[in-house]
Amino acid sequence: MARYHVIHETRYDYGSSVSLSHQMLHLVPRTSQWQNCLDYRLDVTPAPVWRKLGTDAFGNPVEWFAFYEPHEALHIRSEMHIEVHPHRIDTLSDSIAWDALAGRLTYRSGGHPDIDDLAAKRYLFESPHVRIKHELADYADDCFTPGRPVLEATAALMEKIFTEFEFDPEATTDTTPVLEVLKNKRGVCQDFAHLMIACLRAKGLPARYMSGYLLTHPPAGQPRMVGADASHAWVAVYAPGSGDGWIEFDPTNNLLPDTQHITIAWGRDFSDVSPLRGVILGGGGHEPEVAVTVTPLDDATADTP
Amino acid sequence: MVAFYNEMNTADGGVRPHYSEFAKWLQTAAPERLARKRAEADLTFHRVGITFAVYGEDAGKERLIPFDIVPRIIPADEWRDMSAGLRQRVKALNAFLHDIYHDQEIIAAGHIPAAQVLGNRQYRPEMQGVDVPGNIYAHIAGVDIVRAGEGEFYVLEDNLRVPSGVSYMIEDRKMMMRLFPELFSRHKVAPVLHYPDLLFDSLRTAAPDGVEDPTVVVLTPGAYNSAYFEHTYLAQQMGVELVEGRDLFVRDDTVWMRTTRGDERVDVIYRRIDDDYLDPLAFREDSMLGVPGLLSAYKAGRVTLANAIGTGVADDKSIYPYVPEMIRFYLGEEPILNNVPTYMCRKPDDLDYVLNHLGELVVKEVHGAGGYGMLVGPAASAGEIERFRERLIAEPDGYIAQPTLALSNCPTFVDAGIAPRHIDLRPFILSGEEVRMVPGGLTRVALREGSLVVNSSQGGGTKDTWVLEE
Repeated sequence: MARYHVIHETRYDYGSSVSLSHQMLHLVPRTSQWQNCLDYRLDVTPAPVWRKLGTDAFGNPVEWFAFYEPHEALHIRSEMHIEVHPHRIDTLSDSIAWDALAGRLTYRSGGHPDIDDLAAKRYLFESPHVRIKHELADYADDCFTPGRPVLEATAALMEKIFTEFEFDPEATTDTTPVLEVLKNKRGVCQDFAHLMIACLRAKGLPARYMSGYLLTHPPAGQPRMVGADASHAWVAVYAPGSGDGWIEFDPTNNLLPDTQHITIAWGRDFSDVSPLRGVILGGGGHEPEVAVTVTPLDDATADTP
Repeated sequence: MVAFYNEMNTADGGVRPHYSEFAKWLQTAAPERLARKRAEADLTFHRVGITFAVYGEDAGKERLIPFDIVPRIIPADEWRDMSAGLRQRVKALNAFLHDIYHDQEIIAAGHIPAAQVLGNRQYRPEMQGVDVPGNIYAHIAGVDIVRAGEGEFYVLEDNLRVPSGVSYMIEDRKMMMRLFPELFSRHKVAPVLHYPDLLFDSLRTAAPDGVEDPTVVVLTPGAYNSAYFEHTYLAQQMGVELVEGRDLFVRDDTVWMRTTRGDERVDVIYRRIDDDYLDPLAFREDSMLGVPGLLSAYKAGRVTLANAIGTGVADDKSIYPYVPEMIRFYLGEEPILNNVPTYMCRKPDDLDYVLNHLGELVVKEVHGAGGYGMLVGPAASAGEIERFRERLIAEPDGYIAQPTLALSNCPTFVDAGIAPRHIDLRPFILSGEEVRMVPGGLTRVALREGSLVVNSSQGGGTKDTWVLEE
């Protein structure tokens, strides 16, 4: 088990006055079988006039707040203590065959789909950032040989993306289409996650977009992982019969997440779980300053290979 | 040559009983008088300002929708069956919307593929688990019906997002009464002018629980929308405010309207803006037409939207083939109105058939509306058919195809005199505590000889629609 102290700060200096602002946040961590939030606080300056905590369509905590008075800056500080339990599975080879799973998820008139399969189908189709095109199925083809266990095939796809793509923060933006990423072979964790999700869905497999943080200061002797200084993104694939049914893969680091990935939210793609989304009236050009610091609370994190 | 059903005349040249009185009147009416009345109608519509903007033409250019002085008459017994069918259909569609945004039983039972719902661009995950007042999603529905033969009606499509055209139904009636008052003393025509009252009543009863005297507004995208006239018209007829997004704001999860008397709370929004543009915080970020925070207020049950968010998933052309199944599943009844047999191009066998019969079929974009982006095989040139073939092969999922229906004809006053033209019918169905409608609806007529496309954006006109009372 690993315990972390996380601070996620976002600062907007609007340059000129903002008279009205509505914000929607995915910053409160999701509780799961392997993750427990010990305490959480969100400090917002100036103090919002109105705020509300709720749950979004995918079961993630979501916080809304609003300002109705003029202000020139906005500072959001999200802080938590959180524990993550080991949940990585040891063998990938005893998972269900990917083609059998995809076949099972295909519609048959009058057939009664399994209840978990039905829930998983929410993550099977196109979503705002994930268009499903045959080029993506083609790209993944050599990983998905007939009868191959779904987790083995997915791991092969992850490795292929990790090997063939270059991490390059200058190459893409929030809205770069997956097909362009596939063509240019460059991008950041969000692009690799979207690409991998699109490939999996093109193969008929449900895949989730996972949003959260990585340990920023790894234990002595271990390299710092890529994407650790901001929000991170990775993938979970539906694999009924393995773990809790959804197994995570991090294509940016070519590994299966265990206790070093802190989950905030999951959805169909980035658009469902964007950490901060707002609408403001007024203000000049503004790029927020974002800083994420993840510190291990004790030495119990030394369980990585 | 297909023999088309004529609404007025029988095949042997006789007149159908429900048109006999009108036919007698028409025989005695001097052609000059009819021509004069027709010109008077055009002039009046211009003066009243009943216009329609056509997309793709010069920006801001407005046009009259041509009005035809020959009414479309529906006998009482036909309307009885048709209205029972409409009631049934709209009930099932509302039940479907409630189901897919809650337990999804119809998918679990294997009647509809999950892909058709969850993979649909009109499906709104934000609505999952949200309870709306009375479980009504489509408060206002416009269902397009055509006749192919005696007693043979088909539903062409369901419009559950922001169906338009009802203002023309009302104005066409007013125009007929003004031009030919004598006709109304010779026929017992069921009234339609109280539609705005029924609409207002349905909207008021849709208010959030506990609101005694709800404030209703009509939300328009603004003067550049093709149906802006109708938005102003309905607001004025109901005696409520017509607002744009910038006139509304959300404070403390409550929707308010800026007025000269100060801020006023809004309880029911009859919105004529598509889902995508309603709330930039939740949907399209670049929308300048919407109200930030509206979705949150709506989900909290603090305001009612009519229609609800996410109704488009039920009127999509890819869902249409499943409506008869919905009626059986939710109501345990057999459908009263027919569906047109539909080929779904996403199925390889169907696509094959469609590609081999393009000259006979009508091909439609799954997500399209308004008659844009469709191919009417029998009326298309070889070049048009080839261009469409390429589009179909490139994106088969995006299209459905249907046989070309032999749409009925109705005598219509054209330049050459009275001649048959193809028509359809869009009744408007209001769902609240009960399902209500005014008898008839909007009859649209394809004014070009032989044309089967009645959409006003494609040069269609309208007629007054008479349901005769017994």
